[in-house]
Amino acid sequence: MFEPTSHEANLLARASVDQCVKCTICETQCPVMAVTPLFAGPKFVGPQAERFRHGESVDHTLDYCSSCGTCTLVCPQGVKIAELNSVARAAMKRDHMPPRDRLISRTTLMGQAMRPIAPLANAALRAAPVRVLAEKIAGIHRDAAMPVSSGQPFHAWWAKHQPAPTAGPAGTVIFFHGCAGDYFEVATSIQAVEVLERLGFNVLVPKQGCCGMALQSNGLYDTARAWVRRLVADLEKAPQDLVIVSTAGSCQGMLKHEAREIMGVEDESLQAIGTRTRDICEFLLEKIEAGQLNFGVKRLDVTVTYHAPCQLKGQGMGQPAVELLRLIPGVTVVESGATCCGIAGTYGFKKEKYEIAKAVGQPLFDKVKEVNPKLALCDTETCRWQIRQHTGAQVEHPIYLLHKALGLS
Amino acid sequence: MATVVVGAGLSGLAAALRLAEAGERVTLLTKGIGGLPLSAGTVDVLGYAGDERVTRPYEALVTLAAAAPDHPYALLGRDAVEAAVAWLQAQVPELLAGQPGVNVTLPTAVGALRPTCLYPPSMAAGADLAGKAVAIVGPRQLKDFYPALCAANLARTPGGPAAAVGHSLDLPARPGEADASGLAYARSLDDPECRARFVAAVAAVVGDAEVVGLPAVLGYKDLNAWRAIQEGLGKPVFEITLIPPSVPGLRLNDALTALAKAAGVRIVLGSKVTGYTAEGGKVTSVTLHQAGHNQPWPADHVVYAPGGFESGALRVDSYGHVKETLFDLPVAAMGSGTVATERVLRATATGPDTMAPEGSAATGPDTTPAPAQPLLTGDFWQDQALFKLGVRVDAALRPIDESGRPVFTNLYATGSLLAGAIRWSEKSGEGIALGSAWAAAEVILGR
Repeated sequence: MFEPTSHEANLLARASVDQCVKCTICETQCPVMAVTPLFAGPKFVGPQAERFRHGESVDHTLDYCSSCGTCTLVCPQGVKIAELNSVARAAMKRDHMPPRDRLISRTTLMGQAMRPIAPLANAALRAAPVRVLAEKIAGIHRDAAMPVSSGQPFHAWWAKHQPAPTAGPAGTVIFFHGCAGDYFEVATSIQAVEVLERLGFNVLVPKQGCCGMALQSNGLYDTARAWVRRLVADLEKAPQDLVIVSTAGSCQGMLKHEAREIMGVEDESLQAIGTRTRDICEFLLEKIEAGQLNFGVKRLDVTVTYHAPCQLKGQGMGQPAVELLRLIPGVTVVESGATCCGIAGTYGFKKEKYEIAKAVGQPLFDKVKEVNPKLALCDTETCRWQIRQHTGAQVEHPIYLLHKALGLS
Repeated sequence: MATVVVGAGLSGLAAALRLAEAGERVTLLTKGIGGLPLSAGTVDVLGYAGDERVTRPYEALVTLAAAAPDHPYALLGRDAVEAAVAWLQAQVPELLAGQPGVNVTLPTAVGALRPTCLYPPSMAAGADLAGKAVAIVGPRQLKDFYPALCAANLARTPGGPAAAVGHSLDLPARPGEADASGLAYARSLDDPECRARFVAAVAAVVGDAEVVGLPAVLGYKDLNAWRAIQEGLGKPVFEITLIPPSVPGLRLNDALTALAKAAGVRIVLGSKVTGYTAEGGKVTSVTLHQAGHNQPWPADHVVYAPGGFESGALRVDSYGHVKETLFDLPVAAMGSGTVATERVLRATATGPDTMAPEGSAATGPDTTPAPAQPLLTGDFWQDQALFKLGVRVDAALRPIDESGRPVFTNLYATGSLLAGAIRWSEKSGEGIALGSAWAAAEVILGR
């Protein structure tokens, strides 16, 4: 048996190495390589270095890869470049995992710890001396965007929620909000439920934990595997013939493919859950295009930048939010055209990567400021924090506009 | 009506854009970014007819079509190719200069002269070097570009400059970067300050050269960066295409992708089309292998532009068996007016210089007498039959079976998938890609 994080164990990604024809398309799109020479690039540290690894780490610039996944997305040959690099980095960090990386990857822990003392915790994370201390001790950059805890978590709202009278005729769906959607981006989760109910769906929300995404991106695979399996078990408690609809743009990707393709979780239950999982915009658009939804929306005169996060693009479904929002009369959606916002999960929080993450996101920040400096849209939580931090704009999940167009806010 | 285009190379992008601007609802599905960033950013129509270098590609195309009735150009005809090339040039005039019916020769990175038809304006001065004194200049830290080699070869190439001298500069793209790609340089030269440093360094070495050849890194997003550099130097400059990543190819890819999006094409990047459904001789949907599940994408028409061997759309196994990997379309080779099926070629491939393993000639009952030709021969410049393999189509670009009937009535194959041409030696790749995309769009639009 191989070590679970060993390169040998990562056969799925390794099998794709020989597909690489060294065409360099991944390098042309890598957002990190574009702004710093510190990262030797996805092809170099990926398919090329992989041949020399045999259990050893041969290129340490790999640490500067943000795991945004753009390389895999754009590869015309199907090489799992990002997956290879993720595993190689996990192996590289194995014996000297910074305590910081263990800390910031526990989203639920942060949410739970901050919630009872939300005003205090939020204030502390805004206070300069606290942040300087955090940078010195923990290596979390003093200016990095920190989540804002919402006093009331989504699950508390849900416990008191009465279904809208419109819910039911379109069928029943399971709602997956992710842990950031429970503790930090609570409004998004509430809007999603209200939109689904208005459009006729009966919504179920099983108790659900964290998918382990942040642990995975920091190379803490063992815990991440346990967490994603626990989440699968949570979601399985709801009826197993229902679609799982999600506003957690990256966590849904963990269920759909990342747990298997990066961490090698081979599990029929996971696969069954992944097959039923849909992004909320993907789900609604498919229903509308199939003529199965009565989509009565009012006019909204707004021009807004939409940024498709890397981990949403990585699901290979196009940009359903763009198509969906364009069905609302008066709405002009401007695609950001940017590869990545820079944050890449927890990458941009780190002291040594903060400036790189900012440079990666700069074209996006400029676009937001140019198109509509007040409002922008993006499907994942940490990306929204990053865009808010660097533009000052209100940044919302795309469902926010649909919620408005349906007259719900 | 909804059209699904599979593939995002030049052919797929052109078909999608053409259809969308005519009002069709178009979705473009592609596993990754297409081949344009690997291309020279030029449009070849026909560079060579046999060993002869072509100067008037449209006229030569007519001659070729008459002599080789199975060549894609015989099927497409001059008019479709000419219309398609003119249309593309009108879409991106800032990226494609040149006279559509006339070839020029441009210097390559190793100092050969390569015929092409349309080319970026930044390369124009390279088309007119005869009798001139040329300087070839490039940074030492740029990967795979050797000014001295390029200059020495250019100077001894018939039709080349009177004199050519190479100069290498010590000029990293970014501080501390010892081995940078062309793209890293192009990005830095988008910045006026870096450009000024570059101009000063080049000016210091070119002496009294009349024309200056530089690697094709003169700006990426800023399409006027090369003009600023030319102005700074006070003499004509031209870009020389490098090995991938090719900045001129990227510029063209970005421009066409943006135009397609603006015209309403819905682009789905990152998933592979792995199957299809059909009914009554029509493809009703293609199946996209998305993360987590397979998604059917319904279609009234399917333009299939997946590329050839390079992309994996055509696959040859170690027995010399060639397959089209999605629809399992019949793979045919062309030659001397007769159609040889793939299995015939395989069966007749023998000898130490061929790629078919020994003994494979005797396999199976498929062997029928046919033009004997190995798939590959040891002589690079020989006619390589493997690359003529591909999908045979009817006049409406629909793949046909051995009896000449369309396999599906609403499936159109375009680009490198088409049988009958050796694009890299003929220099006909873009002309075929564009002409076939154009012709398929005309059929779908009912014209």
